[in-house]
Amino acid sequence: MISITKAPPYLTIQDAGRKTARSAGVPPGGAMDSFALCVANALVGNPPDSAVLEWALGGGSIRFDRDCAFALAGATAHAALSGSDVAPCTTTYARAGEVLSVQQIVGGRFLYLACSGGFDVPLLLGSRSTYLPGRFGGLDGRTIKTGDSLTAGAATADAPPAGFHCAPDLMPRYDSGILHVTPGTQHAMFDESSWRIFTEGSYRVSMASDRTGYKLEGAAIANSLGTLPSEAGCPGTIQVPAGGAPICLMADAPTVGGYPKIAVVSEADLPILAQRRPGDSIRFELISIDQSQRALKRRASDLNAVVHSAKRAPRG
Amino acid sequence: MILSEPQAFPLGDSAVTIKFGTERSPDLLRRIHAVAHVLAAARLRAVEDVVPSYLALTVFYDPLHATYQEMATRLVSFCRQVVDSEAARARGREHVIPVRYDGIDLDSVAKATGLHAKEVVARHALRTYNVDLLGFVPGWAYLSELDPSLQIPRRPQPRPRVAAGSVAIAAAQTGIYPLDTPGGWHIIGTTSTVMFDPARDPPSLLSAGDTVRFEPVA
Repeated sequence: MISITKAPPYLTIQDAGRKTARSAGVPPGGAMDSFALCVANALVGNPPDSAVLEWALGGGSIRFDRDCAFALAGATAHAALSGSDVAPCTTTYARAGEVLSVQQIVGGRFLYLACSGGFDVPLLLGSRSTYLPGRFGGLDGRTIKTGDSLTAGAATADAPPAGFHCAPDLMPRYDSGILHVTPGTQHAMFDESSWRIFTEGSYRVSMASDRTGYKLEGAAIANSLGTLPSEAGCPGTIQVPAGGAPICLMADAPTVGGYPKIAVVSEADLPILAQRRPGDSIRFELISIDQSQRALKRRASDLNAVVHSAKRAPRG
Repeated sequence: MILSEPQAFPLGDSAVTIKFGTERSPDLLRRIHAVAHVLAAARLRAVEDVVPSYLALTVFYDPLHATYQEMATRLVSFCRQVVDSEAARARGREHVIPVRYDGIDLDSVAKATGLHAKEVVARHALRTYNVDLLGFVPGWAYLSELDPSLQIPRRPQPRPRVAAGSVAIAAAQTGIYPLDTPGGWHIIGTTSTVMFDPARDPPSLLSAGDTVRFEPVA
């Protein structure tokens, strides 16, 4: 059991999301930073898609009500367990009764807390993820509040020894200002000057950005395409409404939409975008779908390396 | 226009959109729904989901088990074979949904259309609607071919919360709110039918390609 002694303004349960219910209009959802999700889980001996806490917008604290291995990954925030510093991306053991306090997030946006065994909430459409707009998944479809308690699942494997950490060179380059994109389904409907604006300009993540989508501020991509007959989009899709200000769809975005899609952020780079804060600058670099899928395979093999080193770490 | 050959476009690393035409038409939509149905039932390797839409269908797949080029080639050839075959004649399911026509906007719709409220109800309940598309929120179905005399633009200000089960109209379409969500359509009635339940398999009562009739109840 874990008790939430002081909830941050945003705290939900997330896992790898729902892959097979888009046809019913259900967005994939899941952790905004899928890489950090898998790393946090590997560090506590969980399968990579186990349910974790997704934490944002402020500090807070939780109490472990039983001995438990845990790990933090993703955004940067100062954390302490019973007063001792907790290193990021590091296997840490808590004793029953110990309190983990996390300060304000200072780098990135979404922090992940994995506990050995994951969190035991109902599996809906193949996932334990919280989908706030639909009020389902996670803990009763809502954010977790102070006073809530969560039940940990049964651990399926031993966690690595205390202090085990993920090699930094296997993590995505979160500080990279360049995001790779592949051509969107309506890429050919945008003329050369639109493409020049899109790939040569710099964009800022707007304050209007959340799990549904990130609005981008910068040079407008003028077009007269209007709204097209709706079709499927996916997280990472950059659509351009009539005003020309692009919006990047994120995990909880509606499954279909009618704005023209100029490009799609490479899945390998989506965690980097997810961790961008309002006001941060980004640029887009066009690559081919082959290059993008190769980058995704490299990301998956980096993740495998993390999982394997965690499994091989000698147990005490 | 219906394309002579379906065309494939990547939608990111995990999806391919197969385009069948360039302009919306009931015939094109019927073909796309039929192909999507056969495709979903075929359970091709690496395929995770199939989402039909007005001009295209989108196949989501696992990019660690198939490349875009492999999927595009395989799917275009599959769609080409299926599109004119007997298998693609299958129709969707037919639903009859009981509606209490007591919506808060029924009187304003009557006023805007110049019809009596009773006539609004009669015309809404007379037609059989096609499920064009699912989306917007889980379980939301866009139902097409609303009686032209009932077609009015959506409300200028969306409501912050519309209750699940609200039956509404806007422009040429009608729909049923599956969840409590914001919404800008005119609410003309309510149904107790559960349109979406994440604990159910399948979660959405309606699928693209189904048909719906509304039955007035007291």
